[in-house]
Amino acid sequence: MSTKHAKAAQRFISNREQEQWHNETLWFVRQKRDNMTMRIPEWEKLRDLAAKIKTHTIDDLIHYLETFSEAAESNGAIVHWAKDAQEHNEIVYGILKQHQVKKLVKSKSMLTEECLLNPYLIERGIEVVESDLGERILQLMGEHPSHIVMPAIHKKREEVGKLFEEKMDSEKGNSDPTYLTHTARKYLRNEFLTADAAMTGANFGIAQTGEVVVCTNEGNADMGTSLSKLHIVSMGIEKIIPDLASLSVFVRLLARSATGQPSTTYTSHYRRPIEGGEMHIVIVDNGRSSIQNTTGRDQILRCIRCGACMNTCPVYRRSGGYSYTYFIPGPIGINLGMLKSPKQHSDNLSACSLCFSCNNVCPAKIDLAGQIYRWRQQLDSFHKASTSKKLISQGMTFIFNRPDLYRVLLKMAPLINRLPRFLVYNRLNAWGYGRELPRFANESFNSMWRKGKIQKDNQ
Amino acid sequence: MSSKQDIIKNLHRSSKLIFPMPEITVEAVKFDDPVAGFLEISRFVGGDAVVLNEGDDINALIRSLYPDAEKIASNLPEITIASFNPDETDDPHNLNGVELAIVKGELGVAENGCVWIPQNVRQKALYFISENLVIILDKNKIVNNMHEAYEYVAGNGDYGFGVFISGPSKTADIEQALVIGAHGAKSVRVIIGNLS
Ligand code: SF4
Repeated sequence: MSTKHAKAAQRFISNREQEQWHNETLWFVRQKRDNMTMRIPEWEKLRDLAAKIKTHTIDDLIHYLETFSEAAESNGAIVHWAKDAQEHNEIVYGILKQHQVKKLVKSKSMLTEECLLNPYLIERGIEVVESDLGERILQLMGEHPSHIVMPAIHKKREEVGKLFEEKMDSEKGNSDPTYLTHTARKYLRNEFLTADAAMTGANFGIAQTGEVVVCTNEGNADMGTSLSKLHIVSMGIEKIIPDLASLSVFVRLLARSATGQPSTTYTSHYRRPIEGGEMHIVIVDNGRSSIQNTTGRDQILRCIRCGACMNTCPVYRRSGGYSYTYFIPGPIGINLGMLKSPKQHSDNLSACSLCFSCNNVCPAKIDLAGQIYRWRQQLDSFHKASTSKKLISQGMTFIFNRPDLYRVLLKMAPLINRLPRFLVYNRLNAWGYGRELPRFANESFNSMWRKGKIQKDNQ
Repeated sequence: MSSKQDIIKNLHRSSKLIFPMPEITVEAVKFDDPVAGFLEISRFVGGDAVVLNEGDDINALIRSLYPDAEKIASNLPEITIASFNPDETDDPHNLNGVELAIVKGELGVAENGCVWIPQNVRQKALYFISENLVIILDKNKIVNNMHEAYEYVAGNGDYGFGVFISGPSKTADIEQALVIGAHGAKSVRVIIGNLS
C-alpha cells in the first residue's frame, strides 16, 4: 500500500531532469548554509540558546503575549486576537472594509496561506497582490508555494518567461532571470504605488518593545508598508520572543540557516504606525495553543520557518513540496500536518528515512525526526498503519520466535536469487520499484561460523 | 468571552513547569579591525562599502560613484549635491523616480555588513524606493556582531521604524539565480568616514 506522498512523489520523479535539478539546487543551498555556519565558531551555542529562549517563551507564553500586546498598544498599534483562521480572515476583511481598501499588497506570509486569506478576500471583491517575486509568480499561475522560503523552487525559467509574456507583456522567448526580475520590478512598482493597504507576516514579535520584525531580501515588505497608510500584520502566537537581546540570537541564525546569507538584506522593525496611518497586529492561535499544552509536541512551536530542514531532507529534495498533503512540506510540515489533523495528513509520515539530518541543521534544535518516529508508533491508533507492513511485522515476529523455522527459511533464502523476475518484482513487493534487491549469499554467516569457515584475523 | 481570553485560557500556565530563560552571553565573532571586516563582508553581500579618506570631499566622492544621477534626495545639510529635500514632501508616492538617496546610518555591523538606520527621514519610503542608496557611516561606529548591535539599539532611543540594511535589494526566486534589484535600491554604497 503506497501512501499519498509516495504516489505524488512518483509523479515528481517521472521528470528525471527536473528531479535532479531540484535535488542538487537545494543541496547547494544546504552547502551554502554549512559554509556560513563554519565561519561562526559559536554556532552550536547559538542554536542551544535559540532552543532555550523559545522553550522558555512558549512555556510562559501568556505572560509574553500580554507584555507584547500592552507594549504594542502603547506604541499606537491596534491589536486583534483571532482564535482561528476564520476569525483572522474576518478581522482582516473588517479592517480593509472600514478603510474602503480596493487593492492590498502583501509580502510573504505562511500564516495567511494557512488561513486561506487570499481567496476569502478576493471573493469579497478585494484585489490581492502578492509582492514577493516567487509568490507573485505562483499567484499568477494559480498555484501555491512548494517551499516556505523559496516558494517557486519547482518552476523553470521558461515557464516564468511564458507567464510574464502573457501577464506583464515581456519580450517573447526571453527567460533570462535578470530580465524577468526587472520586468516584475517595474510591474510590481506600479502595484505598490496604487495599493491602499499593505500586509506583512512577522518573523518575530518583541514582547518588551511591542515591535514586529520582518526579514526580506527583496524589500517588498517595506515598499508596501512605507507607501500605504494602512499596515496589517498577521502573526502567530509562537512568534513572540522576549527582547532585543533574544532577537540578536535568532537574527544571526535565520538567514544563515535559510539561504546561507550572513543576514537578509532588510531586517525591518515596525514599532509605530506611519505618519497619519494605522498599524494593526492580528495575533492568531489557529491550533497553536493546543500544541503549546501538549508536552513533547510543544517543541514544534520553536520553529522560525527557515526551511533548512527541507533543504537537507533527502526525501523532500527528491519528491518536491507538492508531494505532501499539508501546505508546509518537509520535516517540519510532516509534524505540523500531524498536529493539525492526524487522519488527514498521516500519509506524509512515510516521507522520512529517519536519517536525522534535519535535526542537525534546525537552528531551534527541534527533534523533527524523533517526533516523526513517535507519530509512526501511533499510526495504528488512527487506523492508518499499512496493512502489508503490519502483516510483514507479524510474520517476522512469528519467525523470530521460532529459531528452527528461522534457520530453515534462512537456508532457503538463496533460492530467491534464482526465481524468475516477475515473481520477485511485482505489485506485491513495493521495495522492488526502481531498485534491485541485493543477492542473498549462498551460505549464511551463522552456518559459516559453525563450520569454522570464519577465520580470526591474527595480523 | 473574547478571543483573547479564549486563547489565554487554552494556554497552560503552571509556573513550576516554566523552563528558565537562559542568560544570553555569547563569545561571539570579533574582528581585530572591524572597519576592514565590514568592507570585506560588504563586498560579499553586494554592498560595496567605500572609505572616505581624511580631507576628501564627500560630495565629490558620491558624484564620482553616480556621475549621471540628477534626482538626488537628501535631508543632510552637508550633502550639497542633493537636488531636493525629501522631508518637504507630504506624500511618499512623490519619491518614486528618485535616482539617488543619501542618508545617514547609525551603526555598522562587521559580521554581516548590516547598517542600522532608525528612521531619520520623514518618509521611510525613501530608503526603499530610490534606485540607488548611499548610507554614510561613522567609522567609529562599527561593532563586531549582532549581539553588540542590538545592545546598542536597545539602549539608544525610541524609534517608530528602524531597519538594518545590508547591500542592495535582491532575489533568487527564478531558478535560484541571484538577481540584484528586486523591489528596493539596485545599488547600496556605504561610505565610511571619520564623522566624529
Ligand atoms: S523546523 Fe527548524 S529547520 Fe525546519 S523550518 Fe523550522 S526552524 Fe527551520
